[in-house]
Amino acid sequence: MKKNKRILIGKIGLDGHDNGIRIVSKWLADAGFEVIYLGLYNTPEGMVKAVLQENADLIGCSFLGGEHLFYCRKLLRLLRQNSLEDKKLIVGGVVPPDDVKALKDMGVSAIFTPGTMRDTIIRKVNELIAA
Amino acid sequence: MKISDKVQYDRYLKGEKLPHFRTLSGIEMKEFYQRDDKQNDEPPPGVHPFTRGIYKDMYRGRLWTRRQQSGFGSPLESNRLIHFLLNKGMTGLNIDFDIPTKLGLDPDHPLAEGDVGLVGTSVATLEDMETLFHGIPLDKVSTTLIVNPPYSAIIMAMYLLVAKKQGVDASGLIGTIMNCAITQLVGPTYQSGTHFFPLDPAIKIACDVMEYCINHSPKWNIININPRNIRESGVNAIQEIAYAFCLASEYIRRLLARGMEIDRFAPRMAFFASVHIDFLEEIAKLRAMRRIWARLMKDTFGAKDPRSCMCRIAVQTSSLPMTAQQPLNNIVRAAIQTLAAILGGSQSVHTTSYDEGYALPTEEAQVLAIRTQQVIAYEAGVCRTADPFGGSYVIEKLTDEIEECVLNLMEVIEKKGGFLECFKSQWIENQINEARYEYAHQLETGEQIQVGVNMEREEDEEVKINIFRQASDMQEKRIHYIREYKESRNKGQAKQTLENLYHQVKHHPNSNFFQAILEAVGQQATLGEISDTLREAYDFKVHYI
Repeated sequence: MKKNKRILIGKIGLDGHDNGIRIVSKWLADAGFEVIYLGLYNTPEGMVKAVLQENADLIGCSFLGGEHLFYCRKLLRLLRQNSLEDKKLIVGGVVPPDDVKALKDMGVSAIFTPGTMRDTIIRKVNELIAA
Repeated sequence: MKISDKVQYDRYLKGEKLPHFRTLSGIEMKEFYQRDDKQNDEPPPGVHPFTRGIYKDMYRGRLWTRRQQSGFGSPLESNRLIHFLLNKGMTGLNIDFDIPTKLGLDPDHPLAEGDVGLVGTSVATLEDMETLFHGIPLDKVSTTLIVNPPYSAIIMAMYLLVAKKQGVDASGLIGTIMNCAITQLVGPTYQSGTHFFPLDPAIKIACDVMEYCINHSPKWNIININPRNIRESGVNAIQEIAYAFCLASEYIRRLLARGMEIDRFAPRMAFFASVHIDFLEEIAKLRAMRRIWARLMKDTFGAKDPRSCMCRIAVQTSSLPMTAQQPLNNIVRAAIQTLAAILGGSQSVHTTSYDEGYALPTEEAQVLAIRTQQVIAYEAGVCRTADPFGGSYVIEKLTDEIEECVLNLMEVIEKKGGFLECFKSQWIENQINEARYEYAHQLETGEQIQVGVNMEREEDEEVKINIFRQASDMQEKRIHYIREYKESRNKGQAKQTLENLYHQVKHHPNSNFFQAILEAVGQQATLGEISDTLREAYDFKVHYI
């Protein structure tokens, strides 16, 4: 039997808005991925530790309060330092257009802003995991 | 997805139709309503149970307060913004603090650095609070302080000391401290309510603040239960109100247990509700809220003072209908929502800005929100008479139906042991998650239409919108500031007051801690230090990797 692909999902930082990340987690689980939901208040260090422990194929975070650049930069740096640069990072949430570009340039593989439909997310995640 | 020509022409032929006729909370509406849909005539506005409004003359007597939430970056930047908005027609303050402040962390805490000053203003010291309110007469401008316990005690203490410095007596303060342990952060989600401070002590300290304010600041509102944040987590209008009132009942029971009379404090409790996009349902909801509250106060809690039975409602229009796609559509949505808030008889309104889907609002967007309210107030003609929809068959019927559904749900919650029990057992959490998935499902299937998202969506839309930007060195400056502050004050005095507080919590756990917190703030102990002292005294540690 083919093992389901594992996606590690969590909020990083102090923002507690979890409406979107809960919904996307459910969509991914319903689509057959194994979703490990870490909840709120994770640190980049904690996320990296969880990636190692859980051997995740993909990492997903969400942001609402404007903290996305700070934490993505830090998380990507830690992933590189731990030789985990093959683990792709996807981001969801409230991200202004200029920052979407900044996040992509930084190495975030996909950014899903409010109003992204379920199929778009599932399709992109499948592509990223297959690549 | 581009609608094919055939589908388009079929639509012309058939005429467009709504996907269904249910309200957002699932009430099936009839083809039409008529006289016999309403059993009894409602008493006039200003008369128990206040369905038609808490005042006889409503907006003829005074308009609602235009109270836009504001706060970002440093207290100095926020002070400038407050003065700007007051000059532009805002009539009350609504100060939002950043998340580290609302979690009792100083800017130099290792967990705080990325979040300092982002979604509210960063306040850690008494000096910060003085800067924030510089030039604002606290006995003339009413202020809402958006902060949860136990940190609400610290912020309230700072506010009292700033007032004292201004020469304003505590008894003259007008405004509100939100002060709810469960709803204030992001609604009643379990982890947000328990991760940084133990729940029961937070509620106990909320009651300390309420008790202190009732005794010293009789014009001050001691708690603002936040149905708005409950709603924003994804539940419907019925759950929003039922949860809020069951939660309010928990605070009331605790204050009564302290030996306080219901009529001493109930007139100083208030609500902060959401208004979603379902126009008729939201108007009816606000009317039903007042009726349920009035009866709850009188019949269940034995209130005799009519003021105890008046449900005072502040509104922030819901962000959930706001879209990142075609953001100008949000201006229209916010106007409809604001109009519903007014037709529903609310006491103050924050109109959510159209750039909500991108960042904090720009100044331009905030002014537009104020202007939206002024157009409704002065041009639309809806404020000339109280409760203009009173007697409308459909509004009266919806008011009754919502009331019935809310009362049924409240009974379910009370039977399960009350709101706190349901929160702790994560029953509430599960209900919220179910509601979120259901709402998302409805948007996916088109059962709930969002123009620009699941209808008339423009693929590859290039959004042209001004975005609010923080100063790039803001966080660094705040961290530097707090470090300097801790070095430059009289450390001995701050330390002594913190020790006193620790001792009191440890050895007199049922006493009121407010005075001790007030003294610590007065001796320049920081928000983070006082919070840590409380955590230590409760043997509580914030866990993180």
